[in-house]
Amino acid sequence: MLLHLNPSSGVPVYLQLEAQVKQAVAAGALRTGDALPSVRKLAAELRINPNTVARAYQNLERESVIRSVPGGGTFVADGVPGLLKSEKLKRLRPHARQVAVEGRQLRLTREEILKLVEEEMEKLGGEP
Amino acid sequence: MSDFAIATENLGKTFGAQKAVVDLNLCVRPGAVYGFLGRNGAGKTTTMRMLLGLQRATSGKAQVLGLNPSVETDLMRLLERVAFLPQRKQLYAWATGAELVRMNQGFFPRWSSEMVPRLVQKLDIPMRTKFGKLSLGNQTKVALLLALAQGAEILMLDEPTAGLDPVAVDELQKTLIEDHVSQGRTIFLSSHQLSEVEQICDWVGIIEAGRLLLEARLEDVRQEYRLVIASGEKLPASASGDVVSATNDGRFFRYVMAREAERFAVELRGQGATIMEISPIGLRELFLHLVRKEETCTPGNAGEKLAHASSYS
Repeated sequence: MLLHLNPSSGVPVYLQLEAQVKQAVAAGALRTGDALPSVRKLAAELRINPNTVARAYQNLERESVIRSVPGGGTFVADGVPGLLKSEKLKRLRPHARQVAVEGRQLRLTREEILKLVEEEMEKLGGEP
Repeated sequence: MSDFAIATENLGKTFGAQKAVVDLNLCVRPGAVYGFLGRNGAGKTTTMRMLLGLQRATSGKAQVLGLNPSVETDLMRLLERVAFLPQRKQLYAWATGAELVRMNQGFFPRWSSEMVPRLVQKLDIPMRTKFGKLSLGNQTKVALLLALAQGAEILMLDEPTAGLDPVAVDELQKTLIEDHVSQGRTIFLSSHQLSEVEQICDWVGIIEAGRLLLEARLEDVRQEYRLVIASGEKLPASASGDVVSATNDGRFFRYVMAREAERFAVELRGQGATIMEISPIGLRELFLHLVRKEETCTPGNAGEKLAHASSYS
């Protein structure tokens, strides 16, 4: 797995890790059942405190992006089970709001903002 | 206090009239990689030496693993469980790495014989060369090998990467994570290499002229700390509350906020200020703002300069 951290970007490292794993899953670079490195191994690889990796893994597990088998490793989970559509939308809403606010601040038109989101969807490829 | 790996309470040290360390309150959590930062002569080494019983505190107290380093019986138990890598590694120059390992292993009940060959191979340590003939990088590796094999719960490292090349630094960091921190053990290190600290540490303490200016979790610095640059008349010129530092170069006011940067910006706007920028702040920038705040004032702001100085005294 290729992870790049920027320790001085103003984004907590555990959030950077979460975002990059999610992105790898969304882009198909990581598929259901793929193994993730252990907390200890990834921490050593990135030269960061294992607690930071553990925090990211816990959050990803809570969001059903990954699942860990006690004593058996960590794997990409099979989708996001058990979440209602309304719950999914609720989770995405703050991000949508931020795009809207930032877009307005930059004086972009509604069409330009929507086009941007569509382009990003394109980049991820077909529907899951 | 004893829940911490290292804790100090109003710890102080004076050399004659000179105050080396003043009312120091450190809290180092178990399992933390704590970067203790400061300029040359800020009091870092003196603090470490007090924690290791190498120097007696003039005031206040310290606890390391719940033990008091200024009590003789505590100190003996403490030194079995803490390893120290001083800047000047005073190991026997005439002894080879292998001989140093033989000399050391008898002293430490938790010595790990398994770890020695593994680290020798992983770090490519020449064990048959006399310590005095080794390069600085290899001397550091030998000293680190002895410290890690000791099985210490806390590693205290005084400028561990000074004089090392980037590859050696990278190897050192990896080893520290793999063979120490991953076991839930603690590191307390001093350094000037802020980018290295930002990478490996999860806590920082910044000391200047013997006083602790800041102690924070680095993830909080990333998430909450912001630099607010504003222009305007009669804006606040000293640090207080969430304002960690305030400087004014005659044109712009620069505020380092520990939290609530947006709300502070709204307040400033209310006072007629124009906000130029609100941005995240890296460790290097944070460090410079904290320890150099006097120098960034122009002579015309002498009054404000005094205000800055008094806000930390």
